[in-house]
Amino acid sequence: MKCLTSIAVLLLITGLLLDAGSACAQSSSAGRVQNGLLVLYDFSSESGPIVKDRSGVGRPVDLKIETLKAVRRTAGSIEVRGKVIIRSENGANKVTTAVKQTGEITIEAWLRPAKSDQDGPARIITLSKNGSERNFTLGQDGDKFDVRLRSTKTSTNGIPSVSTPSKSLKTQLTHVVYTRDRTGRTRLYLNGKPRAEKIITGNTGNWNGSYRLALANEHSMDRQWLGAYHLVALYNRDLSPNEVARNFQAGSKASTALAKNRPSPKQVHFETQVAPLLSRHCLECHDSSIKEGELDLSRKLAAFKGGENGPAITAGDLSKSLLWEAVVSDEMPQDKPSLSDEEKQVLKKWITDGATWTIDVIDPVIYSNAGPSANNWVRRLTLPEYIATVKSAVGVDISAEATQILPPDLRADGFSNTAYNLNVDLKHIESYAKLAEIITDRMDVKKFVTRFTKSQSLADKNMIDLIEKMGKLILRGPLEGHEVATYRGISTSVATSGGGFKDAVRFTIEAMLQSPRFIYRIENQQGDGTAWPVSPYELASRISYTVWGAPPDQALMQAADSGDLYDLAEVKKQVERMLKDPRAVDRSTQFISQWLHLSRLENMSPSKEHFPDWNQQLAADMREETLAFFKEIVWKQNRPLSDLMNAQITFSTPRLAKHYNFAVQTPSGKSDAELVRYDLSSIPSRGGLLTQGSVLTMGGDDASMVTRGLFVLNDLLFSEVGDPPPGLDTTPVPTKPGLSHRMTAEKRIADKACGGCHSRFEPLAFGLERFDGLGSYFEKDAHGNDLRQDGKIQFPGAEKPVSYQNTAELMNLLADSDRVGECITRKLTQFALGRPLVAADAPIVKRIHQSAIKQGGTYANLMTAIVLSDLIQKTRTEKTE
Amino acid sequence: MKKPHISRRTMLKGLGGVTIGLPLLEEMIATNATAAEQKQAPVRAFNVFFGLGIPAPLQTEGFDGVLEPLKPLGDKLLIMRNVDQVRCDKSGINAHFDGATGSFTAEPPDGEAKAGGPSLDQVIRKTHYPNGMPAGMVPTLIGGTFFRRSRVGRYVHSYNFDGTVAARMQEKPRELFERVFGTINVSGEGKSDREKRLRRSVLDSVVDQYKFYAGKNSPLGSLSKTRIADHLDRIREFEQRAYSMQEKDPNAPNLPSRSQIAHGGLADPGGEGIDITLEELTSEWRLMADLYALAIQLDRVRFGALTFLAAGERIRLTGNYKYNGKTVFDFDDAAQHNKSGSAGCSHEWWHQFSVKKKNTQLRAHVHMKMQELAYFLKRLDEPDSMEANGKSILENSLITISTESGDGRHADVKRELSGVFHAITGANGRFKTGQIMDVNAEGIDVYNTMLQSMGASHKLGPEKRKRNQVDSIRA
Repeated sequence: MKCLTSIAVLLLITGLLLDAGSACAQSSSAGRVQNGLLVLYDFSSESGPIVKDRSGVGRPVDLKIETLKAVRRTAGSIEVRGKVIIRSENGANKVTTAVKQTGEITIEAWLRPAKSDQDGPARIITLSKNGSERNFTLGQDGDKFDVRLRSTKTSTNGIPSVSTPSKSLKTQLTHVVYTRDRTGRTRLYLNGKPRAEKIITGNTGNWNGSYRLALANEHSMDRQWLGAYHLVALYNRDLSPNEVARNFQAGSKASTALAKNRPSPKQVHFETQVAPLLSRHCLECHDSSIKEGELDLSRKLAAFKGGENGPAITAGDLSKSLLWEAVVSDEMPQDKPSLSDEEKQVLKKWITDGATWTIDVIDPVIYSNAGPSANNWVRRLTLPEYIATVKSAVGVDISAEATQILPPDLRADGFSNTAYNLNVDLKHIESYAKLAEIITDRMDVKKFVTRFTKSQSLADKNMIDLIEKMGKLILRGPLEGHEVATYRGISTSVATSGGGFKDAVRFTIEAMLQSPRFIYRIENQQGDGTAWPVSPYELASRISYTVWGAPPDQALMQAADSGDLYDLAEVKKQVERMLKDPRAVDRSTQFISQWLHLSRLENMSPSKEHFPDWNQQLAADMREETLAFFKEIVWKQNRPLSDLMNAQITFSTPRLAKHYNFAVQTPSGKSDAELVRYDLSSIPSRGGLLTQGSVLTMGGDDASMVTRGLFVLNDLLFSEVGDPPPGLDTTPVPTKPGLSHRMTAEKRIADKACGGCHSRFEPLAFGLERFDGLGSYFEKDAHGNDLRQDGKIQFPGAEKPVSYQNTAELMNLLADSDRVGECITRKLTQFALGRPLVAADAPIVKRIHQSAIKQGGTYANLMTAIVLSDLIQKTRTEKTE
Repeated sequence: MKKPHISRRTMLKGLGGVTIGLPLLEEMIATNATAAEQKQAPVRAFNVFFGLGIPAPLQTEGFDGVLEPLKPLGDKLLIMRNVDQVRCDKSGINAHFDGATGSFTAEPPDGEAKAGGPSLDQVIRKTHYPNGMPAGMVPTLIGGTFFRRSRVGRYVHSYNFDGTVAARMQEKPRELFERVFGTINVSGEGKSDREKRLRRSVLDSVVDQYKFYAGKNSPLGSLSKTRIADHLDRIREFEQRAYSMQEKDPNAPNLPSRSQIAHGGLADPGGEGIDITLEELTSEWRLMADLYALAIQLDRVRFGALTFLAAGERIRLTGNYKYNGKTVFDFDDAAQHNKSGSAGCSHEWWHQFSVKKKNTQLRAHVHMKMQELAYFLKRLDEPDSMEANGKSILENSLITISTESGDGRHADVKRELSGVFHAITGANGRFKTGQIMDVNAEGIDVYNTMLQSMGASHKLGPEKRKRNQVDSIRA
């Protein structure tokens, strides 16, 4: 099981790293178009029988020159001089699956025909089985270029074809591009200009995945093409005329930059094998803070420098690597299980191969434990997403009924939208059916359909047209033929039972509201096991549910329709627009509520004996305080997210202000239940999320330093500590005269058995000791012990702790910490993806964070960076059988 | 108990109380008749979990100690000691959660709501019913009475092959009742037959679409397809309930009254624990146990899990505890700890366990738990539970009882997850019973031996792991 998981993680990281650098750096302003690229041959090798696919997308479809003497290779081109075929070893499934999915394709070539009288057509590029069965073929038919592409409306040979005009083919270097969109509109361009256009209807659902890709000949070896190739590319979409012109302008020798982004095998080996191994076995004692024997194996320079016994790692030389010697002799890890033989081989290979080190700091939290594997679970709409989707699709507010009827979404791994845990019970099915009925009952069906059709005919043509248009809105993308037929079946049943148009539409909508495409966010997950770009409609949904927790609006769907979403600049514009919508604010409050588990406040039940004044209204006020504070900082003031740690304002009701010992403000006209803004600049102990009741109450009645410290460690610094040591009684130690919580904590820290871990998290809560279990502020505890607020904070990965004198200084340290900032990035990214992050995500999340910080570090910056990243733009596919 | 227990007999005769409009499915009656004709009892497997385990030293006392309430069922149980679950420990994760998720799976968790692999009941279910359960049957039933819920793994004990929970937890008796016996009125009162027919065609179209996305032409990956297939199964169950029910049955059972104790978030106020009386706790649990047993007796469920108190449970229990009419102990955790909040919970008795002490309170709590587990088991061993082969459901089924930890302290991993109490039933003659056995084996080997005896070819744990058969448990 674990072995399989490791392989899955390796595949994932390989796939994601192939795209490294493209997350936020792609630009539409210069160079070749890269969005939607499937295969790319730049013929850069001068020798050998293999033509490499340098697209950097998915598994490469390399081609083999079957008769090497029939070609002449130079750097940047290959000239076909005699009888030969250059083809893939297996079916080009990457191409076929992608085009079946999108229904679109672009075939591009820079080439120079040897002569103008080749025909058959002579095969320039073909994805086919033989002379009469193909997915597509770009060929030369005398003095014309000709493209045959099979659809459900053509012959298996791809007839009718589309051709450039007579005499348009010259024996010169030519840029040839064929594009086809979902509607069947095909265009042929020569040197950036359209030269032919035709509508060839049907879809590409009948393409055959076993067909191989070939250049220069048909697989039957009887359609030879002679000439030179300089570049060949295929895309999973139809490039716009501007994009075709851009590729033409880029020229036949344009940089194929994606290839350079591929990580080397050594990098992959280090990041997927060695870093996890060091994390699991070495860093507990040899990280920057513990550094036993003066050896720090978490950082490159320190690791190579070694410890008090000398260099730990000598690249390429095992005999001079103390690390290897210690491990192979089982001397290390000390007092722990030795490395397995397989693990030793991993280490040996790494050192022997040159000890490539590609990570700044190996963070054990990221690398030692990949956590739940990043499997692709289809995402069911959460309760708030369901409500928002219904509202957007058909205009009905179903929040009251849905909240009452649908089972709640359960929290897992810190959030309630964790996809693997969003399963369904019988109650869901019953609820979806019931809600669909309530929704359609409440709709003005006839008025609703006027936006799609003026006719109320039940005739085939009208109903199919209506189903296609209405379905596209409700189901967030165009319908497939089988889906249209299914829905048409409902209206037919209505008609045969004597029902009218209204009933037909009503029951069709009911079916749509219960369909998998409504309840789930259905996406293509089939492919070759690597990360593939998502389709425009999938991307539209990803963007809208990420930013809004709601479906795409008309503008976003139009951008998907037009192909604009292939352009990251356009995506960025869409996100900027969407962030101005109130739905973005709602989504962000869902995030903060789940991150801080604010719903917990509703269930608090502190000891009546110790907290006689507690009431549920205070809990509600604490929740509202945090939400108001969050909205003020994030939305009204548009400040960096790090300011959530130390902003000197808050919002409080008079009763909560009294609980906090504030000078209560009661503006006239405001009730006891309304929030009032408080300037905290004169209350240095308060300011920032950690000083609010909603967070302080996490420590329970006893204001546990352990619990509060662990919250900061886990949820603000994304770090962790091991299990408590053997024989430990973890029963909380009560305070008494002469023994405060702080004193008990310091004893634990001073204890040899406990201090190693407790020193890492309890001091994080020292600055909060003056807040009791319910967040009230005191300078002495119930026994008269002085309560302190000074301490030291050891940031994970840092070499030395940093001192602070009071709560405000602790908050400032947290606000200034990039570690905290990165943790917030990780939390929001997890929420956006609906799954816990794994080691393979680390490089992309790092780039998201850096990009967001560079832009200002606001919620909007972070949300934009997430949407532009590969985590949203691409999906990890499964190899299609 | 104030409430008389619900049995199949009372249900079928509709004794007492106000009958409500919950028609019986035909299968609910018919299956029993069919079963009577069957000579072979159906394969069933249930995981029964109780929170906060039995410290290994107390297990050695046998029926003379805390296991006393199991003694009347001793001939039908194989009690296993020294079952080692250390491999389920996950560094940095709360051991209650590790141990609980490892119960019945023998794997460390793979997420807060995800096990490292399937549970015993699901492997057996897939082995014997690869194409799904017979119509009208609840595929997997998960129920329980528990209060700690910070992580799902603390209280859910039935997991799919992909490690996700096998069904939704029914934590209120009324919810469990409806999940098993409820019917669905698709079109409500006053709807015409035509509308009902049309709504059926809507459902047909929905089924077609789920079939597509679960099928070979689906664009989804394997895990997602499994999720859609689960959804499809639930729709089919919905269809069964909505369209295959009989008219209202005059002998319909009583809908249980609303639960009087805390549920949902209220049941776990920030890990601080709740105050509860023994009467409240056992009344709720026994109703849950009755309903679960009834579901088995009526052959509405053959696989699933039942939980009595969660892993790391935090309750402050009060009340006079009697066994066989004699007072065993007066519970008053908070007062006896002289603390409030989490520090006043029964959980702390486990923290304070020591072989050098009497451990009076802990013993009383465990004894009470055994009595409550025995209550459920006895339901499956009563006359209503006799099957055509002359044995009871308890004897014919594989019921695996386990818990989260051996020692009970958040202490030495080796002790905490070693010696985890296990008990199993004979599974229709497959396993020894009437013994208390020191198996001295890893849980994963015990489980895999059990699976093999149940006819399953799937093995828990890593492929490459050397497997050790625990033949001593086989009959």
